[in-house]
Amino acid sequence: MVQSETKEISQNSTSSQQKKIHIRTLKSNKYLKRLMACYFFKAKIYPKIPWKYTAWTTSAFPVEMLWTYDIFPLHPENSATVAAARKLSKGLIEYAEGLGFSRDLCSYFKTNIGAYDKKIRTTYGGIDKPDFICTTGTICDTHVKWFQTQGRRMNVPVFIFDLPHQVAGCDEKTLKRYENYIVDQFYEWNDFVYDITGKKLKKKRLENVVRKSDRLCQLWQEIYSYRKKKPSPLGFNDTFAQIFPLVILPGIDAGIKYYEKVLAEIKDLAAKGKGVVPNEKYRLLFEGIPFWYRIKFIFELAQLGASIVYEPYTWAFGPRKPLGLSADEYLHAFARMWLQQPYYYNLDRRIEYFKEVIDEYSIDGVILHNNMSCRPNSTGMLDLKKMIQREIGIPAIIIEADMNDPRAYTEAAIKTRIEGFIELLEANSK
Amino acid sequence: MDKSIIAYFESSHDFPEEVVIAAKMTPYKILGEVRKPSETADQYLFKTFCPLARSILEEAFDESDQWAGIIVAHGCDATNRQYDIWKHHITTPFLYWFNTPMNDRKSAKKFFKEELKALVKALEEKFDLEITLDSIKRAIRLSNEIKSVLKELSNLRALKDISNSEYFETVKRAMLCDRTKALEELINTIPRWQSKPEFPSDKRRIVLTGSDITYREFMDILDRAGLRVVRDDLSIGERYFATQIPNKEDPLESLVLYHFNKPRPSTKHHANPRLDYLESIVNETKVDGIVSQNLKFCEPFAYDSVWIVNSFKEKGIPIIHLERDYTSKADHQLINRLEAFNEML
Repeated sequence: MVQSETKEISQNSTSSQQKKIHIRTLKSNKYLKRLMACYFFKAKIYPKIPWKYTAWTTSAFPVEMLWTYDIFPLHPENSATVAAARKLSKGLIEYAEGLGFSRDLCSYFKTNIGAYDKKIRTTYGGIDKPDFICTTGTICDTHVKWFQTQGRRMNVPVFIFDLPHQVAGCDEKTLKRYENYIVDQFYEWNDFVYDITGKKLKKKRLENVVRKSDRLCQLWQEIYSYRKKKPSPLGFNDTFAQIFPLVILPGIDAGIKYYEKVLAEIKDLAAKGKGVVPNEKYRLLFEGIPFWYRIKFIFELAQLGASIVYEPYTWAFGPRKPLGLSADEYLHAFARMWLQQPYYYNLDRRIEYFKEVIDEYSIDGVILHNNMSCRPNSTGMLDLKKMIQREIGIPAIIIEADMNDPRAYTEAAIKTRIEGFIELLEANSK
Repeated sequence: MDKSIIAYFESSHDFPEEVVIAAKMTPYKILGEVRKPSETADQYLFKTFCPLARSILEEAFDESDQWAGIIVAHGCDATNRQYDIWKHHITTPFLYWFNTPMNDRKSAKKFFKEELKALVKALEEKFDLEITLDSIKRAIRLSNEIKSVLKELSNLRALKDISNSEYFETVKRAMLCDRTKALEELINTIPRWQSKPEFPSDKRRIVLTGSDITYREFMDILDRAGLRVVRDDLSIGERYFATQIPNKEDPLESLVLYHFNKPRPSTKHHANPRLDYLESIVNETKVDGIVSQNLKFCEPFAYDSVWIVNSFKEKGIPIIHLERDYTSKADHQLINRLEAFNEML
């Protein structure tokens, strides 16, 4: 989610290849920088303005539900990625561990503990105290335990959406029960927000936010579709930062304008047949959250002719929204949509999803990140890997690392594994 | 196959056993086997995942043909996500996902009742039987009797020389065998424990909290370190029997009320009731200190450990927190820490 520090970079190859390969990032990303600068400015001053309300939230929480009430979202996960990209996460994590938090706990959480306590600048991953906290257990227990912990430490109210997990084989009747439970919670949420801010749900504003959110997602899906082209004009080096508006700004205009510029540029590049990686040899899918402290991993892959052209993680933030519904229908539609997202698909659906995108995006190989900080996402990965290899017949590797803790990234071991993976891709392409 | 056993996988005390008892079947809590490596389960779950959940899956690989069915009850990420692994790899005629709410709001109570109804229906349809409201009421009465006797036995821990592992095995057995038989055995245990020698003067009285203990060896380690557990808030422990299931006209309503009133684990929101229960224990019972622990990779309890430890430290109550491996072998580093804690008390 962070803006890459690296622009157009060139590196010496990590393998025996010596030729420098230049990897292009999009020109329109300069607008993202402005967008983020504006967001961080507001994130810094809004908590200090008495009539502005702010809330901490997480991924998988429908941020539209904050914009609908004109509540400004602060996003500790996003801030944690900024700290990692700034090479600050390790120190912040170690600070949290010094307080007693286990090495096995989420590195985003520990980065947030350190960043908040040490009051570092927002542009370095710092975050201010909000008026309240809202989260959900949709993705993981961590989102709940983290926000319970910080809610307690900061003495702010916490609202938790309890999303029933939709396991494999879940039938329609069961889904309906889950949907109704979520809708009931939307009404409790409305009461919770009212008690703190005095604001109520307004249908017109909800409609407006949903329409803009949908437009943003429509653009994102269109941008994404160009990644099917060979060579792909858009790489992970762009998308990991481009998801910022989807994560935090759905429902407002700023992200839409930025995506329109990205789409125009992508269309142009695709028409000219320009790929993000020159001489694209291998098209990869990356499953999991990236190593925010070591984004150069993407560039190192490019030196080997490999371009990451699909990430379920970045795709997951952009589902289309239903339009033209009554307020209650919106809530039901949101609830249903919320139950099924690519980042937490059940194993049956996840396997089908992988089959579909591997075919659609002409994927040659898959990298699966067994993320020490996201065990829920890593669950099922061993089955997924077997399926990819046996049923689809393309190479897949699992890399053990962590999204925000550089101590978990073993340079030599990962380099060796990646080189072996490239050899497999080469052999498989013959 | 024993057609009367419904095995269940839960990460705390989330599963309403009474529904199974009402179906004239035996609920069996899958606890894994610490002495057996989880080699088969490790083909599907990384070793960086909860070792207890891997061991429970291993037991399912070994034993599922002995069970009429398996129910996985929502508790933590392990139950949520690993259900799919079970669905893909465990052979069983009946695999059911039972969603228990994490919240304690009004909507959660309504939802839990709906899930109870769905569970009843699923069992009725699969096993071609009828679970009447009366049969659930009878099951609740039996369950309450068991809870009542367990509580009586538990109270003897602070008075008599009852080893940590003997208490643990007694509670555990009540979750594994036919409940009528379990009640009979528990009733017979009361006079036996009452006639035991007085509480040993060389032992410290402690509260045990944190991740659920599922094997006796850890309890033995505490005894070796001179620490005698007189109170706890564990699922194979007080969480299971601290509260009675209320007697309501609608027995499903009783189960709903019970679910939200029993001592809450760290997997739920809000977390404060867990601390409240521990504080009530310390106020009710004379204890020398608290041993808090979490199993390696057990995240919900690891998150809360800092808060729990700091809360009691602020009150001047001695407390130690340990992270333990899932092993039956004596961990000497752990024993040393516990002995040092004992000396400090």
